[in-house]
Amino acid sequence: MTPAASDGLAPAIEIRGLTKVFGSGQTAVRALDGVDLEIGRGEMVAIMGPSGSGKSTLLHLLGALETPTSGSIALAGRRFDGLDDRELTLLRREGIGFVFQFFNLLPSLTAEENVLLPALIAGLRDEAIAARARALLDRVGLAGRTTHLPSELSGGEQQRVSIARALLMEPALILADEPTGNLDSKSEAQVLELLAELNRDEGHTIVMVTHDPDAAAVAGRVVFMRDGRIESDGLGRGLLDRLRRIREDLPLP
Amino acid sequence: MRRSRLRSYWGLSFRQLRTRRLRVFLTAAGIVLGVGMICGVLLLAATIQRTFTDLYDSFYGQTDLVVSGSESAGSLPASALRRVEQSEGVEDASASILAVTSLVGEDGRVEEGSGSTLNVSGDDPEATDFTDWTTTEGRGIRGGREIEVEESWAEANEIGVGDTIRLAAPAGIYRLQVVGLLRFSSGLDFGGEGFGSMPLATARTAFDKPGVFDEVEVLVAGDDEGSVDAVGDRLEREFGKGVEIATPAAKGEDVQRQLQAFNVVLYFFAGMALFVGGFLIFNSFNMTVLQRMREIGMQRTLGATRPMVVRSVLLEAVLLGALGAVLGLGLGVLLALGLIALMRAIDFPVGDLELTWIAPVAAVATGLLTAVLGALNPARRAGRIAPIRAVLGSEGLRTRPGPLRALAGVLLIAPGLAGAFLLGAADETTNGVIAAGIAGIIAIFFGIALIAPFLIEPLARVLSWPIRKLAPVEGRIASDSARSNPGRTAATATALMIGLALVVGINSLGSSFLNSIEREFDRSLARDLTVQPRGFAPGQGPQQTIAKSLSQRIQKLPAAAVVAQERLVAVPNLPRVKGGKEGPQGLLFAFDPKVYPQVDTTDLDGDGASREQVYERIDSGQVTVGKGYADEDGIEVGDALVLEGPSDTRRARVAAIVETIFAGGQTVGLSLETMRDVYGVTADSQLALKATSDAARSDLERQVERLIERDYPNLAVLSNDELKSDVEDQLNQSFGFFNALVGVAIFASLFGIINTLSMSVIERTREIGVLRALGATRWQIRRTIADESLVIALIGAVMGIAIGSGLGWALLKGLSFGIPGVTYQPPVGTMIGVAVAAVILGLVAAILPARRAARLDVVEALSYE
Ligand SMILES: Nc1ncnc2c1ncn2[C@@H]1O[C@H](COP(=O)(O)OP(=O)(O)OP(=O)(O)O)[C@@H](O)[C@H]1O
Ligand SMILES: [Mg+2]
Repeated sequence: MTPAASDGLAPAIEIRGLTKVFGSGQTAVRALDGVDLEIGRGEMVAIMGPSGSGKSTLLHLLGALETPTSGSIALAGRRFDGLDDRELTLLRREGIGFVFQFFNLLPSLTAEENVLLPALIAGLRDEAIAARARALLDRVGLAGRTTHLPSELSGGEQQRVSIARALLMEPALILADEPTGNLDSKSEAQVLELLAELNRDEGHTIVMVTHDPDAAAVAGRVVFMRDGRIESDGLGRGLLDRLRRIREDLPLP
Repeated sequence: MRRSRLRSYWGLSFRQLRTRRLRVFLTAAGIVLGVGMICGVLLLAATIQRTFTDLYDSFYGQTDLVVSGSESAGSLPASALRRVEQSEGVEDASASILAVTSLVGEDGRVEEGSGSTLNVSGDDPEATDFTDWTTTEGRGIRGGREIEVEESWAEANEIGVGDTIRLAAPAGIYRLQVVGLLRFSSGLDFGGEGFGSMPLATARTAFDKPGVFDEVEVLVAGDDEGSVDAVGDRLEREFGKGVEIATPAAKGEDVQRQLQAFNVVLYFFAGMALFVGGFLIFNSFNMTVLQRMREIGMQRTLGATRPMVVRSVLLEAVLLGALGAVLGLGLGVLLALGLIALMRAIDFPVGDLELTWIAPVAAVATGLLTAVLGALNPARRAGRIAPIRAVLGSEGLRTRPGPLRALAGVLLIAPGLAGAFLLGAADETTNGVIAAGIAGIIAIFFGIALIAPFLIEPLARVLSWPIRKLAPVEGRIASDSARSNPGRTAATATALMIGLALVVGINSLGSSFLNSIEREFDRSLARDLTVQPRGFAPGQGPQQTIAKSLSQRIQKLPAAAVVAQERLVAVPNLPRVKGGKEGPQGLLFAFDPKVYPQVDTTDLDGDGASREQVYERIDSGQVTVGKGYADEDGIEVGDALVLEGPSDTRRARVAAIVETIFAGGQTVGLSLETMRDVYGVTADSQLALKATSDAARSDLERQVERLIERDYPNLAVLSNDELKSDVEDQLNQSFGFFNALVGVAIFASLFGIINTLSMSVIERTREIGVLRALGATRWQIRRTIADESLVIALIGAVMGIAIGSGLGWALLKGLSFGIPGVTYQPPVGTMIGVAVAAVILGLVAAILPARRAARLDVVEALSYE
């Protein structure tokens, strides 16, 4: 399924000299300034840093939502640059799952239909994929909410629907920009646990932007950014402790 | 509600429509109305066509060919029948005279309306009967003062077999015994008018047509088409130009061709309603695409390609168009039924609704096409939405329209006005001219649509001034809201502008014509009184005539100084210039050159010759030509025209060009004598009277009125003012009808305003919440919405009045080419009416959205994102 499935050796993500400049002349903003980053398969990485440091920009470039000013990105060995709009679309369709801060569910579709939407877009309409959508809703603890409209779900539930949606096409990479930024603490814990489990048990590669150290704690690796550059990269001290504590506190879904 | 699960990406388009029913309703309304009108008009046209085919079929029955003076242009000499009978290939022939008369009631009066009108055919009782009617009661005519009448008319007038009826004929009031009732095989009748058959000899005396025929019906030997054509050709050679040889079907088509012009007008207005519908779709889809920016971006992140997004928006438009078209079809059938009932009510002959397949297919096709065309640009914009919009939403997108847009608008308006000018200038409205004209008018509207966003800012500022004065806070919010999204406000106001501009444009023509006609009356009427048949409308089929005795009797009245006879004949082709092409449709106008100068002071251009000389020349056989016809065909004083009538063909010099706008200046004037000799017409259409002195005027009027009341109840006496208001009424009636049709387009744009306001309420939910939290009352919230609506409507009105005036001016400039002497006159009354209508529309449109805004829950509104 993944675009570069043949290449079993390349890392999940390989970023070289990535630069993004918004605007031009006097008002130009260097949102990313020569970022190098490698993320292995099955890793869960949290990206942290002050506001305006370029976290979202990095994520958008990773998701091929925007094109870099210079530098390159490769997903499982396959470089983005040179791909046209259609190829990028297919790449997003099959290789990347998005989870946004605002859940971005289609208000006129039920939970189940929202989860199924990527498959419908890809032209898949068999019973197997529908069964998978239901299974995913079950997996995120919403088996009883399949026919609810987004407006009939809580924020945490909506975010879990959007996670199920991101998983439907079994993407190699899941990108999440402040997925808990809009949630209360209980929902936040549930969503974080879900992401951690997906990473741990099912080996999904996850890159997550967050401001919250607690959220970062569930990740195996934390990348700190400042002024469009990577300031530090690795396991923050004490993070593993916190990670353990969260696991103990949380009831399994 | 259980919904079936979404089965494909395309199902999303259905779902979007289903969950936004109000928007669907408001957006599709224009399509419903447009399709309804087109379908209704097509059905009506088919029904009328069918009616006339049937009517002519049963009227002429087995007749293969009809020989007549060119349409109503005079009678055939009595020898015509013998000549036909002796022609090779003719098996049988019979001849008749035709006339129009009025039924005189028991009180000696003729009732108003067409119910008292009786079309009479004078037939030879001995001749073979080719017609397709049967006598249902009594018997056929044998001779003497007998008549057989059509049964539904007889019933309406409470006439039975054995009754004696009185008819106001040129020879005086005629008493006839009803010997039978007849019914046409098609079951149709002449609408409200009646039909009767009387003995030829009686009819000739009653209608003062001695020794002539109006028609000869021919039965051709052999059944095949070839022999009919051969006989037709032979008769044409035999009779020459002034006589028309036609099959009954062709005669029916003549009538239909006259109706065609009317149909074109109907199609035009239906097309305009649909155009407004397309505009509503355009505006609505533009708003939705903006609103769904985040959703569409999200679909793109999930892997939807650009073409998929474009197609899904178009699919939504197709579904909307299909829904609108289906509802429109229903409306169309109802409309057709309503129009048929209406036409029956005004005594127009029309059969039962003729359901054709073309009408629904054409209507649905145009409806769908309009919907897709309207959604094309919004769909293209949707396709360009980048995936990043899933994150950014519509932030930072409110782009101001670029100068290129304004330029494109200006570039469209100029050729648009030229197209309208062309439509007005054309002497013959061919399909090409109509297409150019309609394309021009649509180009103007498109151009305005492009320019409008630039006008919104200043217009909103100026027009909201009184509102801001009345209610500073609400007015300010409303005006800001209208200005915050100039594209949307512009599109909404433009949709309204279209209808209003058409009203102003049409009425510009109306007021200009009226004004010019009144001025011509003032210049040319030297008479005191006019006598004419009731409901006199030359050019609209055969008219009643005036008894010959009347002019002599009036002459003997002590107060009468001058009695001038006028004889009018509407012809399909005016006399052509020698060696030139066929003349246009127009009016032959005959008068006595010795008397007429005393009652008429119309300007004449005799190329140096004096008025007296011109009239002397007319007396010696020369003619005059209306300026409209003269300008079109380059006719000058001294040119020779060819007069071709059933009785004679001869040449006549042009003595003068007449400055008239009657019949659009498509007239040829000649002496009574020339008309009799060439066209065989000897009956008066109108009498122009002059009293011995100004003081005697009222005496004359009283005396003539008494005379007419007693012996000629089918006639009316009109003062010059009454004559003017008679013309005015006729003109106003047609323009009133057009205004009603444009009303549909205006009605459609009402839904556009509601749609925009609803969108505005949704967008400003938070703002409304804040206002309420700060202590604004529900009433104040309502006011802001109503004020925004008023600002939009007033912008539409201002643009409508401006564009409509330009449009009317261009049309009139074009028209004045064919009809010199018509000058532009702004329809001030209509303009005021349009402004008032816009205010009312604005207030009505605001009712629902304002209520919605006022009822928003404050807490929910504040947390709305
Ligand atoms: N579309 C854009 N146009 C112009 N500048 C932009 C755009 N997007 C981001 N920027 C700028 O780029 C810089 C990095 O923005 P980015 O959104 O990546 O920051 P962030 O780390 O996600 O911040 P936050 O924590 O507040 O979300 C900021 O200075 C921002 O103003
Ligand atoms: Mg961010």
